[in-house]
Amino acid sequence: MILEVNTLRKEVSSGDSKLVILDDVSFNLLEGQSLAITGPSGSGKSTLLGLLAGLDTATSGEIYLNGEALHELDEEQRALLRKRKVGFVFQSFELLPSLTALENVMLPSELKDEDEPEEKAKYFLDRVGLKEREHHYPNQLSGGEQQRVAIARAFACSAKILFADEPTGNLDPKNGEMVSDLLFEVNSETDNALVVVTHDHDLADRCDKKINLKLGKIVE
Amino acid sequence: MLFKLSFKIFLRELRSGYLTSILVSLVLAITIVSGISLFTDRLEKALSAETEEFLGGNLKFESNQNTAKREIQRQDFQDIDFMEMVLFASVIFSEEEMQLSSVKAVDNAYPLIGELELQNKSGKFLSKESPELGTVWMDARLQNLLNLSYGDKIFLGDSEFIFAATILYEPDRASGNFAFAPKTIMNFEDVDSTNIIQPGSRVEYNYLFKGPEDEIANVRNYLETIKEDGDDIEVLSEDSSSLGKTIDRSENFFLLGGLIAVLLSACTIGIASQRFTRRHVSYVAMLKTLGMKTTQIRTMYFLLFLFMTFLTLLFGLMLGWTLQSQFINLISSYFPTQLPPPGYYPILITCLTVLICQFGFIYPHITKLITISPMRVLKDDVSFDYGFIPVFLMGLAAFFLLLYLYTNQLTLSLIIFFGVIGFSAIGIGSIYLLLGKNKTGLGASGPILLALSELRRRKFGNSFQIFAFTIAIGLTLITFSASQNLLGSWQTSIPEDSPNNFAINITPEDKENMQFFLQENEIESKPFYPVTNATIFKKDRQNEEDKIDRNFNITWIEELPEQNDILKGEWFDENLNNGISISDDISERYQLEIGDEVFIKIGEEIIKSYVQSTRTVNWDNFSPNFFIIGHPSLFKSISSTYITSFYIPSDKQYLAAELMREFRTVSVFSIEELIDQIKEIIEQVSQALNSILLLTSLSALFLAFSALQDGFSVRKHQSAVLRTLGASNTLIKQSTLFEFTLLGLISGTLGALVAYAGVYFIESRVFETTASFYPEISIMGPLLGIIVVSSLCYYLISGIAKQSPKKLLMQ
Repeated sequence: MILEVNTLRKEVSSGDSKLVILDDVSFNLLEGQSLAITGPSGSGKSTLLGLLAGLDTATSGEIYLNGEALHELDEEQRALLRKRKVGFVFQSFELLPSLTALENVMLPSELKDEDEPEEKAKYFLDRVGLKEREHHYPNQLSGGEQQRVAIARAFACSAKILFADEPTGNLDPKNGEMVSDLLFEVNSETDNALVVVTHDHDLADRCDKKINLKLGKIVE
Repeated sequence: MLFKLSFKIFLRELRSGYLTSILVSLVLAITIVSGISLFTDRLEKALSAETEEFLGGNLKFESNQNTAKREIQRQDFQDIDFMEMVLFASVIFSEEEMQLSSVKAVDNAYPLIGELELQNKSGKFLSKESPELGTVWMDARLQNLLNLSYGDKIFLGDSEFIFAATILYEPDRASGNFAFAPKTIMNFEDVDSTNIIQPGSRVEYNYLFKGPEDEIANVRNYLETIKEDGDDIEVLSEDSSSLGKTIDRSENFFLLGGLIAVLLSACTIGIASQRFTRRHVSYVAMLKTLGMKTTQIRTMYFLLFLFMTFLTLLFGLMLGWTLQSQFINLISSYFPTQLPPPGYYPILITCLTVLICQFGFIYPHITKLITISPMRVLKDDVSFDYGFIPVFLMGLAAFFLLLYLYTNQLTLSLIIFFGVIGFSAIGIGSIYLLLGKNKTGLGASGPILLALSELRRRKFGNSFQIFAFTIAIGLTLITFSASQNLLGSWQTSIPEDSPNNFAINITPEDKENMQFFLQENEIESKPFYPVTNATIFKKDRQNEEDKIDRNFNITWIEELPEQNDILKGEWFDENLNNGISISDDISERYQLEIGDEVFIKIGEEIIKSYVQSTRTVNWDNFSPNFFIIGHPSLFKSISSTYITSFYIPSDKQYLAAELMREFRTVSVFSIEELIDQIKEIIEQVSQALNSILLLTSLSALFLAFSALQDGFSVRKHQSAVLRTLGASNTLIKQSTLFEFTLLGLISGTLGALVAYAGVYFIESRVFETTASFYPEISIMGPLLGIIVVSSLCYYLISGIAKQSPKKLLMQ
């Protein structure tokens, strides 16, 4: 089991009252499986993704990521877990503007202090079809290209599980399709688990499992 | 509509806190500028009134002849008040005692300016009149020496007078050459009856004038035409007294502190405005999309900054007024009357400062903001061409205008301006090269590698940030050094045992006895200098044009007096003993060079000599000092009296009276009150200066904080991405701390260099003292850089580290 979630709840304070973002969310995911989290805006999709990836902490409930109790870890331990086992793709790409495409992809390997990060990054950039653009800065790339760099960076993590938050949300249909193809193609090569938050039904349909959230609860 | 919208945005910006940097910097600048200029303006006015009173009028004509009065009265000077007084020294007798006194006989127009404070049986009172016929006023010292009570008789020459009042304060204290002995004031019309003034008597006639500036200039021009040998014209100019110099120096420092604080604030305003602009890019694009015209947007932002100006001026001027009130309270007791209200100039200079800051450091950013394309609404990545060069040039122009506004000297402004630009170009260029070439990758495997990589990667931004820190640290060090070292050396220039008494008119017969008296009572004195009055001619003594237009008290000794240093030429030795040594200011004023022939006229005797050396003289050391010193061999035949100074401790003050009783022809006058007054005023002014230091440092700190904060918006995003990818908080904190410690070290070291250059400039140009080397600056600079920059960075990075990376990415 790569991911196990039990009775997850997330509340936030809003003035004197408390707002429930997620309530009683439970599911699990096996290695190599893909999961789509769908639902209308404000249903708690991105919050759930943040909790699963250890970017945020839940009010109650349990999350086991690759057997490790994420809910019991502090911020530093969660960061270590992310470094070893988690990859990310964001809707707004989140590339560092001062680094070239190659350097952005090198980042995960550098953080792990791996040997020859440049070679690994070049391999993944080649894999997403951007070998010729490795020395370009993010502002010199189109939106689709930036997302492909972000995918290359996510796979360069050698992660056990990849989280993608609306990976096609900022792209036109053609580029969106290309990016989702790439995501599934490379994922199948690495045997990673994949968790995708999306509004895109086609993308969701390509996943092994689907969760539909409404007002913070799983409805199907 | 525009007004309302603009006001709404202004209120929203105020509430959001985004305007805080600009507002605080502007308020700080206005507070400092208005506080300092209001204070110095009132101080100058008070000093001017003091000097006027000290002189007794706007212009004084000193003559040894009484013929000038007739000549003057023949002229029909408009709007001019005029008075005459005669000064002479004479022995006054009471029933029991006798004492040499400096007598001032005044006509009925006395006092022309100010009023006297007197005391009689009924108590203290103020007077604007001269003494009644047949009466005299005397100072307390003379009253005690003659053992007089009010109504007692005194004898002066052939006449007797009634002692009517004690002089507690007299306005025209700068009364000529006879002011050394205890003072007596009598009516001018009583002088004839004393029969003291005979042909050949040593008498000085003073004519005082008061009136409008242009009329005074006419009087002066006329007096120049009737002026004879030995006559002197004194005008109301800068006060050259120790007190005046003390205040003058502190004024220089105040203005310097003000300029530094304003420049620091201007830099902060520039950085904050840039941030303001970036935040408003989408807003302007949206307004344009909704159909608002460029002129309307421009007006809207103009109004917004107008509101800001009013608000900052209101608070700044209020704080500035409070600041100057505090300063005035500190020193008000040194002025006899209430300090005059300020003029319009301080408000003008404050408003000009705000205007220059607005147009130089805020307006260019707003102009660029208005050019943003409405496409920005549709495409977030539509570039915003910041047009760095025009913005930078406007900033430079404003910088120059501020320099000129504060120094009022074009050459000095140009020197500082190009000095700063040259230094900036070299500094930024060197830092850029020092940081080295980029390597591939961020080096995120460890904190030190990441820090070094970050320093190199943000080379251009870092160079500017280092430069901003360098300026902030450099200026803070200059201010600190000025307050500690310059004022320190100034304060210690008056040591505890400075001579507090001068003795003059010591006859050769009394000299040895007096030396013995002082030794016996364990009073350490300065040497006894022979002194006489002389006129100096350059080259040709027959040619009136070569005559140096003043009389000098000259002395002759073999040893170079203490705190005198030879600048050019050589001091006397066995072979070199025919020349004279002159002070550097006399050499400069009268263009006298080494080797120039001079003729020294003493009485009827003329001595031929040449300029053998020039000296710097410390005039503030409370010892007898001389413009001209000769070798004793030249003056063997000249008769003279002697002068000395000595320190009488407070527990032996009775010795002064004893000394005067023992040596009746010797005049002893105490300068203790003056020394105490100067010491006290330095202490009080130091307190005011420390406030300026504090405010300047606050401006520097604010600039450093703004510069850091500006860079941290980028870091916030980077930190969130790195933490998402698994970088630990420790890695981020350590690498950032290491990076900024290095940045602080470089800035601090460069700041120390700036401070050395600045202190040298201030010491040699502003304070006109000898420049010294202060080793503590080289330690304090880097330390200050490391501590301030890394502490601020730690504060900012801690705030980032506390937030979850998810939240940071969503912002």
